[in-house]
Amino acid sequence: MKRLKFKKEKCIGCQLCAQLCSAFKEGEYVPSKARIAIETTYDNGNLKYHDHFCIICGMCAKACPVDAITVTDHIEVDFDKCIGCGACAEKCPKKVVKIRDEKAYICDTCGGDPKCVQMCPQNALTFE
Amino acid sequence: MKVTIVMRGTLRKVYGYDEQVVEVPEGSTCAQALEAIGVHYKEEPKFGFVSVNNMRCMIDDELHDGDYLKAFSKVFGG
Amino acid sequence: MTQTMLGYQNKVLRIDLTKKGCSFEPLRMDFARKYVGSKGLAIRYMYEELEPGIDPLGPDNKLFLTTGPFTGTPVPCSGKLSIAAKSPATGTMNDCSVGGHVGVRVKYAGYDMIIFEGQLDKPGYVLIDNDKIRFMDAEHLWGKGSHEAEKILADQYGPEYSILSIGPAGENLNIMSCINCDYYRQAGRGGIGAVMGSKNMKAIVIRGTGGVKVNDIEGTTKRLFEILRNDVVNDDNQFIFDDGTTAFLEACNDGGILPVNNFSDTTDEKWTEYNGEVLNSYRQGKRGCGSCGLGCGNFLKIGNAICEGPEYETIAVAGPNAGNRDPEKIVKFNEVCDNMGLDTISCGDTITWAMEMTESGRHDFGIKFGEADKMIEYVEKIAKLEGVGADLALGTKKASEKFGGEDIAMQVKGLEYPQYEPRGSWGMALSYAVSDRGACHMRAYAPNEEVFAASIPPYTPEGKGQMVYNLGEFNAIKFSLCICDFWGTIDYAIMSELLTRVTGVEWTEQDMADVGRRVLNIGRAFNQREGFNRAHDTVPKKIVRDALQNGPAAGQVIPPEAFEDMLNQYYEIMGWNQDGTMPDELVKSLL
Repeated sequence: MKRLKFKKEKCIGCQLCAQLCSAFKEGEYVPSKARIAIETTYDNGNLKYHDHFCIICGMCAKACPVDAITVTDHIEVDFDKCIGCGACAEKCPKKVVKIRDEKAYICDTCGGDPKCVQMCPQNALTFE
Repeated sequence: MKVTIVMRGTLRKVYGYDEQVVEVPEGSTCAQALEAIGVHYKEEPKFGFVSVNNMRCMIDDELHDGDYLKAFSKVFGG
Repeated sequence: MTQTMLGYQNKVLRIDLTKKGCSFEPLRMDFARKYVGSKGLAIRYMYEELEPGIDPLGPDNKLFLTTGPFTGTPVPCSGKLSIAAKSPATGTMNDCSVGGHVGVRVKYAGYDMIIFEGQLDKPGYVLIDNDKIRFMDAEHLWGKGSHEAEKILADQYGPEYSILSIGPAGENLNIMSCINCDYYRQAGRGGIGAVMGSKNMKAIVIRGTGGVKVNDIEGTTKRLFEILRNDVVNDDNQFIFDDGTTAFLEACNDGGILPVNNFSDTTDEKWTEYNGEVLNSYRQGKRGCGSCGLGCGNFLKIGNAICEGPEYETIAVAGPNAGNRDPEKIVKFNEVCDNMGLDTISCGDTITWAMEMTESGRHDFGIKFGEADKMIEYVEKIAKLEGVGADLALGTKKASEKFGGEDIAMQVKGLEYPQYEPRGSWGMALSYAVSDRGACHMRAYAPNEEVFAASIPPYTPEGKGQMVYNLGEFNAIKFSLCICDFWGTIDYAIMSELLTRVTGVEWTEQDMADVGRRVLNIGRAFNQREGFNRAHDTVPKKIVRDALQNGPAAGQVIPPEAFEDMLNQYYEIMGWNQDGTMPDELVKSLL
């Protein structure tokens, strides 16, 4: 099964991944609503990588009290069932689930052709 | 005579090597030495300037035995 | 009525520091239609709002933080921010360009522009969380290095916030002071840090969680996939990721334009001691700005020195131009300048001037070429106005007026020379002379043609007016679109296509050229109103008097008549009078 993979030595912290995700999911470039959040910061004289992206581990589905989340070769959230309780976000090991307007927003790999990967300029993000 | 021809910048990818030592006739110019190894600099849009022994020179300047000829690609910057 | 364009937020935030208030107003879309964004838009607003003759360090000067229509979109290399004001170093207009992520955050906060007016009554910082603006106390930050202050604020607010800050140099109103972002990115030149310091503003902390709408987002984005792969991340531009600006060092050295010992000569046989191969062997990681495709930033640690950099300018000014070949000292100089909040170019040139003054016996500033440890100590002295630092804080123009040595002060209008020797690239002398903010290489970058492309002979005035105009027009529109310098292969076709796609309004290649020309002219018009003319478009005496001894340009000196010839050519192409002033009808056509 393919998953998103991240090579930090190629990451330039441009956040184009989040812009692309939001473009196709939200209709505008708004990284705060994206289902991926990768950035780099300087802290205490070191370059830190904050790589929040879905690895399809399924912890969100296990945590969901209303069975709103299904895991196949991608994650899908049934918005009719989702109550926005945030249990999935709490359990997510990559801290990438967003709760907004009482619904959980989780990466669905764009139908197996992730837009974030297409735009990652130095190929730090791959889908393999 | 022997000269070392060095590719810099994108010319390394265009021609597939960083540097090589070549045998050229005595009195060859930079242009002749490059043409002799297949570097058709006039037609190559990425071609910039040449230096010999770390000093910029003209493409028609004469080389000498042991010279180090660098071919630079164009860079854009500021 | 001017057509609305997508890509813009159509909103300006105006902050009154004196009254501690703020207001929101629509963007002047008529200005945007003529000047697009970033550089051009900032200068147009400055022309409108800054009365001639104001004190750059007084309450009437304003700081303009300006984005462009591409900012916050995946147009590659579009995420920088223009920071502009009247310059305390030169008295001209000054627009800087800072990297990092602050540009996209200003746009996501909902603003095309943020204008800071007036002055705080005591040290403070402004906190902007989207549309919530607060004025915070900064007594606990004042006096601290920019890095120390940024760390305190970053720990307090978290990585969603971008922080612009000044160091002690800006607090002390040093005319060489800069504004830092993300620790290692600067709005560098012309004393922009002092403008912020004069407003008692230690920092601007900003978060933006909104978005940017463009025309046909799916179609535009799909086209951007192609442009990224074909036109940005390609062999011609990729050296910026691989090497960063260290790549320029060898070409400039061999090309005869790398300055040595305060522009006394060129070409350093020891350049391999501090070149990209050496510096990048200490690289820990890469970093770029918001929406970047290339990632020029090299984060490195060497000994006890650490910085994202050093860029070519800093390598040259703290390296061969200071008689130093120790790479660790170059990086340390970079680090201390960043933390103190000083422009490495101006601070470096002022120290190298002091070195030549001392060595030549004209005035003893207590430092000679090669004394790298002292050079680093002097940075802190300059920032804190301590001892000899108080004299050198004047910058080369005012210091040389006071102590002598005007002939070897490498500056135009009070802004120090970037690290390209004009006797090796004569067009650069013209470019420095006519640049809108004093000696700046980020206007018409002559080495592109005279050295790297070898497309025009370097040691002649012939054709240099047209060359400098073409290069200047290109950069003027490019930086008004807020496209980074390092997307070197962009052209007017791509620019106009992207602007049309993003805004939903048609822009042609001719429009790009027209905007570029207009931006060059509006900068000149601002300066003319401040009293600038041909008399101020100068070249340091050293360049027209002393011949180079070494390198491919050995024997070269620019004859004064050749310099005047280049100026004449340029003025004619611009449609200016031969005294360097602009005809009234030309000025009116810009408004």
